[in-house]
Parts: sequence; C-alpha cells; structure tokens
Amino acid sequence: MPIIKLLTSSVGRKILMAITGLLLAFFMAFHLFGNLFLFVGEEAFNAYVNKLHQLGFLIRIAEFFLVLFVGSHAYSGTLLWIKNRKAKKVVSSYSKENTPSAARSAAFTGSIVFIFLATHWSTFWYKFNFDLQGMSYYYVVTESSVGFGSPAVSVFYIVAIALLGYHLKHGIASAGQTLGIVGTKYENIYNNLTAIFWFWIPLGFISIPVWFGFLVRII
Amino acid sequence: MNVNLKIWRQGSDSVKGILKTYRLENIDPNISFLEMLDILNIKLVKEKRDPVAFDHDCREGICGSCGFMINGRPHGPQKATTVCQLHMRAFNNEDDILLEPFRAESFPVIKDLSVDRKSFDRIISSGGYVSTNTGEAPEANSISIEKEYADEAFLSSACIGCGACVAACKNSSAMLFTSAKVSHLSLLPQGQKEGKDRVAKMVAIMDEEGFGACTNTGACSAECPKEIGQINIARLNQEYISSSLSGFLKKKNE
Repeated sequence: MPIIKLLTSSVGRKILMAITGLLLAFFMAFHLFGNLFLFVGEEAFNAYVNKLHQLGFLIRIAEFFLVLFVGSHAYSGTLLWIKNRKAKKVVSSYSKENTPSAARSAAFTGSIVFIFLATHWSTFWYKFNFDLQGMSYYYVVTESSVGFGSPAVSVFYIVAIALLGYHLKHGIASAGQTLGIVGTKYENIYNNLTAIFWFWIPLGFISIPVWFGFLVRII
Repeated sequence: MNVNLKIWRQGSDSVKGILKTYRLENIDPNISFLEMLDILNIKLVKEKRDPVAFDHDCREGICGSCGFMINGRPHGPQKATTVCQLHMRAFNNEDDILLEPFRAESFPVIKDLSVDRKSFDRIISSGGYVSTNTGEAPEANSISIEKEYADEAFLSSACIGCGACVAACKNSSAMLFTSAKVSHLSLLPQGQKEGKDRVAKMVAIMDEEGFGACTNTGACSAECPKEIGQINIARLNQEYISSSLSGFLKKKNE
C-alpha cells in the first residue's frame, strides 16, 4: 500500500508532521480570535464561550481531531528523533554554525509545548467543561488560581508560548519545504505569511497573561 | 608556515579511534591541503610510522572522492571548495587544525579519515538512472528542453556524491544527495518517465541504509562543495507526494 509507505517513510513522516503542524497553527489563529474577547470585556468573553458550548457535539468532534493532530505530530516527531539519533555518530569538533538553533531545538521546544498543553487541558479546558464551581469563564482565566490570578501560571504561560513561537519559527518554514511549496510560485507568499504564525499569533497569546497577570494589577 | 595537526587515527570501524597530534614545519602556503598531508605521510613513512589514510582521486574537485572534517566542517573552512582544492593559505601560521572523518552510522570508518560511502552507491543503483537502449548516441536536438530546466538540471547534476551533506547534517540525513539525484533526472524529459518509481525506490533505500530524516536546517547546502541548493529537497518532496498519491490511485483502479 503506497499510502502506508507514504506515512511510514522518513519523508512521509515529515509530510504528516508538516500537515498536522500547519492545521494546529491554523487552530491557534482561531483560538487567539476567541481569547481576544477577554480584552473586550467580561460579558463578551462569557458570551463567546457559551456560543461555543452551544455547538455541542461539533466541538467534541473538533477536539477529537485536535488531539489526533497533536498525537500524530508528537508520535512522528519522536520516531524521527530516535531515527536521527541512531544515524548520527559524534564528531568531537562538529560545527553547529550552519544549523539554526530553532531547528536544533525543535524536539526540545516541542516537548515543552507538549507539557504545556497537558497542563492547559487539565486546568482551563477541564474547568471550562466540568468544574466551573459557579465562577464565570472570565473569572477562571483572569482571577482564579489555575488562571492568571497566579503569577507562577502567568510566567509559565509566557515562557511556554514564547517557546511555541520559537518552535513554529522553524516548523512553519520547514513545513513549506517538506510540502514542496518552496520552489513553486507560491514560495514568496508562503514565506511572507510565516511570521504571522511564529511571531504575531504567539505575541497575541502572550499579551493576555502579561496584561491580566501583571499589568492590570500594577496600573 | 608551521601547523599543528590533530588527526583522528582509527584502524577500522570495529576498533576505537584516538586523536593524535603531528607538527609540520616550513610548509609552503601555496600547496594544497592534500599535498600537506602527502608531506606528512612521507615523513611518517620515513620514520617507519603508519601513514594517515585519506581518500582522494582527481584532486580537481570533480570526482567526490576526497573529504573529511576540518575543524568540525566538511571540506574545511572555504565555501564551495573540496578538500583537494583547499590550499594551506586558507590557514594561518601556527594554526591548530583538527581532522576527523565524515562520521555517520551509514559511513563506517575504513581507516583514519577514509570512510565507506557505498550506502550512496546503493541509493544511486536503486533508481538514479534512466533506462534507455544503448547504441548510437541520439541526435542531441531531437528532444528540445527549455533552457531554464536544462540549467536547473545541470545545477543538480553537479553533485559529486562526496558525503559532505551527511557529515554536515545534525541527523546524518542523505536528503540533499538523494534529492539532487532525483531532481537532476526528473527535471529532464528523459528522466520523467521513471520519475515516480525512482523517488519511491530511492527514498526507501535511503531509509533502509540508516540515514536520518531531513529537518530542513539547510546546513547541508551551506557546506556542500558544489552548492547544491535546498530547492532540490523541496522538489524531492513534491515528487514523493505525487508519487505516493498516484500509486494510491493506480492501486484503486486495478
């Protein structure tokens, strides 16, 4: 079956990582759109979350696919990491000059992001869905101890999202190469869009803990 | 000029290697790097010591035989230059120069700086060819090829298969080599017929040989003595996607 070969060869695993990675990056854009309602105000944010909850099983299907994408991205990444480790023999003087650090650290930043996601699901996602205890969604995010009421949580979010941005700096560009977009007439358009995903969207996410965790308390 | 050499000495792949120090004095800065090693070996033979093994053949930068790590970089510090075309004037008097072989699991050490690159040959023989009837050479202009494509194919065909890309890669990936061979042929009408099979076979053998996967870091192109570009890897990926999908459709229709 060529499709199995496509998914299990080294090139195929990269293609799977590129596709799932890009889909997750698109999801991030959508996620940020919702988060920005926090800046509009309490009512607007709560109304937005309620709207999402009204979608019911559609949201569950979307969540299933998100977990599937994260899982297959991490699974392929781990298998490739092992393969790459096996292929390499150490050269004592090996120069890293031509290997960008974002590329070298992608497995590491990815692992941190994975830990971040696990925390994110077990706190925000779980609370929003099953354990509100009479709090409003807005309150959970901005004031509660699992949200940006805790400086430790705020700092963790800022660091993890910054690392995610660094992960995407390599990831988005690499996906363009893996999917063969580089070298076509779409190359320039693609390259111009990469900064949105590795810089502007993470910056948007970081603005939330920075504002609600720290600035709003100081001002 | 005087140089202090630290050279990796290893009897074979199964024994442990060690870095040994050698000093050479009064070297002419205008001799090539390999000539400097020749001088060292003459000296070692005279002293009845084991000479340093290293690969070389044409010494004109076109055969792909030579190559090792100089101060951690394949083929040394000079851009787009094979070791044989590198001259001692690229270094300073009293420099420490560290020589190690191209290391990868798929490149077992034969001796010292010489490594076995047959894994490359096996990738080539799995699909890096065009099947044609032999006989008289065909009329050169019977198939017209746009200059743009001919030029691109020529750039890809410049790959000499030295293995610097594998040595430069943090994953010891052979993607640059394999992709140069794939796109060299798939850019030309003679090669396109077998293109889809070729890429599938060559990637399969590349994986089997134990090379790592491509992380798109670009280190290979930066160190390549023939400046083979990253575009080749993108082309291999394009070929591979369309090859896998078309294979899928074919199976369904049968």
